[in-house]
Amino acid sequence: METIEIGTAVSRTPGIAKGFLDIGQLPDGRPMQAPVQIVRGEAEGPTLWLHGCVHGNEYCGTYLIHEALRSLSPRALKGTVVALPVLNITAFERNQRMSPFELYGGGDLNRCFPGKADGTVTQQVAHAIYTQLKRHADYLIDFHTAMTADVRWALFANVPGEVGRKGHDIARAFGYRSTLPAPVDILPGSAMMVAAHDGIPAFIVEAGGKGAAFTDEIVSDGAERLRNVMRHLGMLAGTVTDYGRQWHFSNFAWVHSTKGGLFQRAVKCGDRIEAGSVIGHYFDLHGRPAGEAKAPNAGIVLAIHAGPLMASGETLIHIGLDPREV
Amino acid sequence: MMRAINVGTASSTSVGRVDGMLRIGWLPDGLPMETPVTIVRGPEDGHVLWIHGCVHGNEYCGTFTIHKFLRDLEPGQLRGAVVALPALNITAFQKNQRMSPFEGFHGGDLNRCFPGKPEGTVTEQMAFHIYNPLREYATHFVDFHTALTEDTRWALFAPAGNEVAESMARAFGFRHTLPAPLDILGGSAMITAAKNGIPSLIVEAGGIGPAFSPETVEDAAERLGNVLRRLHMLPGPVTDHGAMTFFSNFAWVNTTRGGLFRPAVKCGQPVEKGDVVGRYYDLHGELVEEGRAPASGIVLAINNGPLMPGGEILVHIGLEPRAV
Repeated sequence: METIEIGTAVSRTPGIAKGFLDIGQLPDGRPMQAPVQIVRGEAEGPTLWLHGCVHGNEYCGTYLIHEALRSLSPRALKGTVVALPVLNITAFERNQRMSPFELYGGGDLNRCFPGKADGTVTQQVAHAIYTQLKRHADYLIDFHTAMTADVRWALFANVPGEVGRKGHDIARAFGYRSTLPAPVDILPGSAMMVAAHDGIPAFIVEAGGKGAAFTDEIVSDGAERLRNVMRHLGMLAGTVTDYGRQWHFSNFAWVHSTKGGLFQRAVKCGDRIEAGSVIGHYFDLHGRPAGEAKAPNAGIVLAIHAGPLMASGETLIHIGLDPREV
Repeated sequence: MMRAINVGTASSTSVGRVDGMLRIGWLPDGLPMETPVTIVRGPEDGHVLWIHGCVHGNEYCGTFTIHKFLRDLEPGQLRGAVVALPALNITAFQKNQRMSPFEGFHGGDLNRCFPGKPEGTVTEQMAFHIYNPLREYATHFVDFHTALTEDTRWALFAPAGNEVAESMARAFGFRHTLPAPLDILGGSAMITAAKNGIPSLIVEAGGIGPAFSPETVEDAAERLGNVLRRLHMLPGPVTDHGAMTFFSNFAWVNTTRGGLFRPAVKCGQPVEKGDVVGRYYDLHGELVEEGRAPASGIVLAINNGPLMPGGEILVHIGLEPRAV
């Protein structure tokens, strides 16, 4: 078997290899390290790359990958799973989206791929990760959350040809009802888009909310859907579950708030809304109503701000546009 | 002519609602640090119920509960006055954190700083500016907090054994209630006020940040209204919330290890000493240890994870529950 070496995780034979990948240097001179796990099956097959917490406070993905890893046996696996459940480790420790050591504009790790060996701290982190991803991955699944516990949607890089088609099939096997075949010009610098342009079918799962806003049920359900993707890819034995019809969107509207205040949402993820629908209510510090937030577009609610407070410029809502049942 | 109630720019001399701001400190850019104040006055003088929330800046459920209560309160129905400060620790409130971002010294927990110091640290000065009008006007006091998770529902009253304070706790009616001995929670507004002869209640409803539901807010606002009915500040029959469980004290347990953490118990659940209350995992997802209850009792609050450094609050346990 070919050796797979990612940091101190070295896999030469069927089994589980664990280790850490250096992704940067901390200000006290110690290495900044992300955990790596390689599960090598007895039979040859594709390499599925999983990662989570590109945004440090999106813990649901970490738990979901962990649960899936605990359920895998090298004996039952065809091919290899490479998992980095906690990419943005310094942000992860601090329960925040971006690294506390990133002092410049552009600290969103999922806009920095493929990275720069001599860039800012986040660009260097992206470079260290992407070098390995590009070398080893046949497929990429990237776990994110939005803001509230009821988030369940997904997107795949809809690049032309076989790479986009394989992404589509992975999305069907994962089976979240709300799914965006992502146009190639959105989310530049995301691991998903960069990998797809390098010929790696790539899929993002948005499950649960940031911080503690997720349940054990969404973790277990997501881990089972991930195993279903592996059955679809022929990496696990068994019948592929058909999760039924999906809504596919033409694009999403990513709407920022232009006012601040105390905020209570009026819609749930998965709700259908019209342009002008009330999606939340603002209040002032004395508790007096201070206006309504309205949807600028019709579509399906993919994500909505959890409140209870919101500064101007925060993400108010994500709307899946032009849903069509497929 | 009614006695004037003046709290910052909120000045109430007649029936109705007035809003204003109370200066509790200075921001580093020289602007005043101000917290919102609402005074609602009925047609007759009577008790003055002081209610406040977000002593800890990220305990928003209390702010929303007070707001909901104020929106529904008819001044014409009220006997006496309500003075409400729904977002006390305003700079921590803005930042979604427990303590003020401007507190650079040890001791920044506002609810350990009362009655405050006019020339102390930023938090001690805030406590001073809040406690002065509280002591001047309040005849009764309710302080809204949250714990960590959405399912938190318990309360404390002080002084333990005080008939009025106990009647407020029973009217609020969260089953799990601690008659607080005066030697715990030193520097809290509740204990400080209780020592100054003001019957006081702390409500712990919902969790930090967005971890609370509109239902919890509605329910808590209704229970607060029941406290006012019990104090004859609002008309109408007092709801009987039934039997209560009182505790002798609580165990406030800090964890001595860190890691990814998932709770294994819910608020309100009985636990025995040694029961598993949660599980720690390492960065690779391997189970590394089980967190266990050091005492028997009722779970009042549990850490929700998903991450926990050593020294965080693992669990609060209500000790020696007895039906009353």
